[in-house]
Amino acid sequence: MRYICTCCGYIYDPDNGDEMNKIPPGVEFDDLPESWVCPLCYAEFDKFDPLD
Amino acid sequence: MRASVASLYQAVELHQEIPPLLIGERCNPNGSKAFKEALLSEDWDACLKVALDQEGRGAQVLDLCVAYAGRDEVADMMKLAQLFAGSCKAPLMFDSTSPATLEQVLPLYPGRAIINSINLEDGGANLERICRLAKKYGAAVVALTINREGMALTCEQKVAVAKDIYTLVVDQYGLRPEDILFDLLTFTVGSGDETMRDAATETLNAIKQVKEELPGVGFTLGVSNISFGLRPAARKVLNSVFLRLAVEAGLNTAIVDAAKVLPYAAISEADREICLDLLFNRHPEALMTFIDHYEQAVDQEDNEDSDSLPVEELLRQKVLSGDKDGLNDLLSALRGRWQPLDIINNLLVPAMREVGELFGRGDLLLPFVLQSAEVMKQSVTLLEPYMEKLDDDGKTSILLATVAGDVHDIGKNLVDIILTNNGYKVHNIGIKVPAEEIIAKAKELQVDVVGLSGLLVKSALLMKDNLSQFQTVGLTQPVLLGGAALTTKFVAVDCAPNYQEPVVYCADAFAGLKAIREFEAGKLLSTQWEESSVTKNRPSPQQEVLDRSFEPPVVPFVGHRLVTDIDVEKVFSYLNTAALFRGRWGYRRGKMSKEDYAELNTNTVLPLFRRLKDQLVNEGWLQPKVTYGYFDCVSEGDSLLISSDSGEKTFSFPRQENAPGLCIADYFRNGAEGGDKVGFFVVTLGKQLAERTKQLYEADSYHDYLMLHGLGVELTDALAEYWHEKMRIEMGIQQERGSMDAYVAQGYQGSRYGFGYPACPDLGAHEPLFEMLHPEEIGVVLTESFEMVPEMSTSAIIVHHPQAKYFAV
Repeated sequence: MRYICTCCGYIYDPDNGDEMNKIPPGVEFDDLPESWVCPLCYAEFDKFDPLD
Repeated sequence: MRASVASLYQAVELHQEIPPLLIGERCNPNGSKAFKEALLSEDWDACLKVALDQEGRGAQVLDLCVAYAGRDEVADMMKLAQLFAGSCKAPLMFDSTSPATLEQVLPLYPGRAIINSINLEDGGANLERICRLAKKYGAAVVALTINREGMALTCEQKVAVAKDIYTLVVDQYGLRPEDILFDLLTFTVGSGDETMRDAATETLNAIKQVKEELPGVGFTLGVSNISFGLRPAARKVLNSVFLRLAVEAGLNTAIVDAAKVLPYAAISEADREICLDLLFNRHPEALMTFIDHYEQAVDQEDNEDSDSLPVEELLRQKVLSGDKDGLNDLLSALRGRWQPLDIINNLLVPAMREVGELFGRGDLLLPFVLQSAEVMKQSVTLLEPYMEKLDDDGKTSILLATVAGDVHDIGKNLVDIILTNNGYKVHNIGIKVPAEEIIAKAKELQVDVVGLSGLLVKSALLMKDNLSQFQTVGLTQPVLLGGAALTTKFVAVDCAPNYQEPVVYCADAFAGLKAIREFEAGKLLSTQWEESSVTKNRPSPQQEVLDRSFEPPVVPFVGHRLVTDIDVEKVFSYLNTAALFRGRWGYRRGKMSKEDYAELNTNTVLPLFRRLKDQLVNEGWLQPKVTYGYFDCVSEGDSLLISSDSGEKTFSFPRQENAPGLCIADYFRNGAEGGDKVGFFVVTLGKQLAERTKQLYEADSYHDYLMLHGLGVELTDALAEYWHEKMRIEMGIQQERGSMDAYVAQGYQGSRYGFGYPACPDLGAHEPLFEMLHPEEIGVVLTESFEMVPEMSTSAIIVHHPQAKYFAV
């Protein structure tokens, strides 16, 4: 499932992963490492909303 | 011919053989829960059912009101007016004070409607517009005796305002006397409010006098207001007796729940006397006798509606639902039972606590919390005149300030709103407050807790210094810290050790509220940081080597230019709506299903957005302006040397300590590589918006304050996004307009880095930037700490290098 950053609008899509945080494609949002933050605005997990 | 109104199917005379003409009141979201729920869920058939039920129970005209916060009144009115026009035999009464709504709906109605209502609250501007519509479309009008001084309470005031209205409506705008239905207003005799004991008599006498002095006019009355705050079974009797008296005085129409009117004959002699004693204020104990008499009466009806609930519960619901309608009546009913201070402490504060808990559990969104706070604030304001003096003794008091060099006050003001409306005493001493002044005020006001706020990175560092100063002078209050640049770790590791009292990080206003409650319970502790806690990433573009082969772009000019003719609609088209709705406004999806969230968007968020956008555009609150330029530059170490007509400027940028060790200067060619081109801009929405926002805060319009501020911040960014795109196109690194979805994730070549943001946090760069772009020519100036004023302005350095993306140092 995709998640959207409520601070900047960045969308985390498991199909794409997140290069800025060195996350390969295929990682679900819930499985992201605890150190992960929004690659664009550095917001933490609690600022994300489910999108789908 | 006698004055009549008509639907598609029938005409109805306003003066019935046996008065009164009954006007059904329940198609109104503020009066009927069933109708409100049907309206909010857009269940139009259920709305129609409320109308048809009333016809079944004897209503001869149907009042239709759709004004409800967050709804689009015009659209709802059009929808329901068309539906009702085809399905209801009874003529309609359009209950709206908005000329815009009436203008749309009147030409559509296949009959002769009644407009409800006009008044002189604004001195007569709306009255004129509505009367012209009434004349044009042949409608009757209800006229309320309200003028600039407020609602007419005494007979004398009611008659005077009625005459003023008559002069305008009949003599000036050409309506006939029989087109007017005066509502001379009635107020509850059930509150115990000494000044309202003669409320019924004042209204009855006024009807008689107006009937005599303004021949031909008609009357209407919201009869049930007379008994507001009393038990339902008692209300039904009192309303029916009062209606009888009013009809005797000359009332020809009445706005009622047709099902709840008792035939006079069905009321016992004893009941009548008790009602008459109360209505005519025949003896001092009339109210108590009345209440005692109906104490045992059974409320037979399974009332769907709120009026069956005790007034205490009604007030709780008002706070929880953020609904201010009828608050004055409700509070005067409550004042008959409780001391004002008890209403605040025992009813309002617990309700706000409940609101906070709902928010904490994710069951209530921030905009709704602010509406609840508005109900709280207005209640306290309405109760204040009845209190000896606002007793602040014993209340926990908090000093709030935005630290020196920082002009941002939205965060601090939100904390103020939440704390004040949870019953605490807040001293909000403003922005840019130096430590010395905070210390002096904390001592002078003997506050219990100090709260510091600040948005900037620099402000976080300053808070740390302030704490050292507080320690030196021996302040004894715990200190709460809030602001975008703070982290738990920074507060715990860098700030707390500087001060002997608790230092607490508050991520939002509710964390502040929680801290105050912990303080009261003697349990407030400094924020802790465990070394084992996870250290958060600092994401970066994963680039080992920067491409040095690129050519500088061709720029259209060198130097700076001003642009002042910017299309506001265009700016709106670059708005990041996800960040606005979910982030700034707080309409988070949270626990909602995808469908429920879509519904919230359709019913609440988008109408709100349209309302604010119309207001901004129509009232000219936006004056978007830009100053921008292109300059020759060379990169040298961590700096960029720029030649401009005001001499050579040096911009020094910080470098990441850890790999990949990025620095903005790296994206430009050095002297040996032949130099480069760089762009800059400063954009602003102008100063009007800041003034409007401030006015909303001062008027305690918390909800609109946060909404308008958030919209302003995101529109500023939209203008920056628009201009960045324009510059990319001018430089030839982009061909045409792209999509906002892509832009959110930097789907373009190059990057814009805002001064004060993570890649170039130093606001001092504004000094050379201002010498190059002259933003003062578009009304933007710098404070002593290099922040831009007005607040809705932003700046950036434009980097064209394809590998340039956001990063933090």
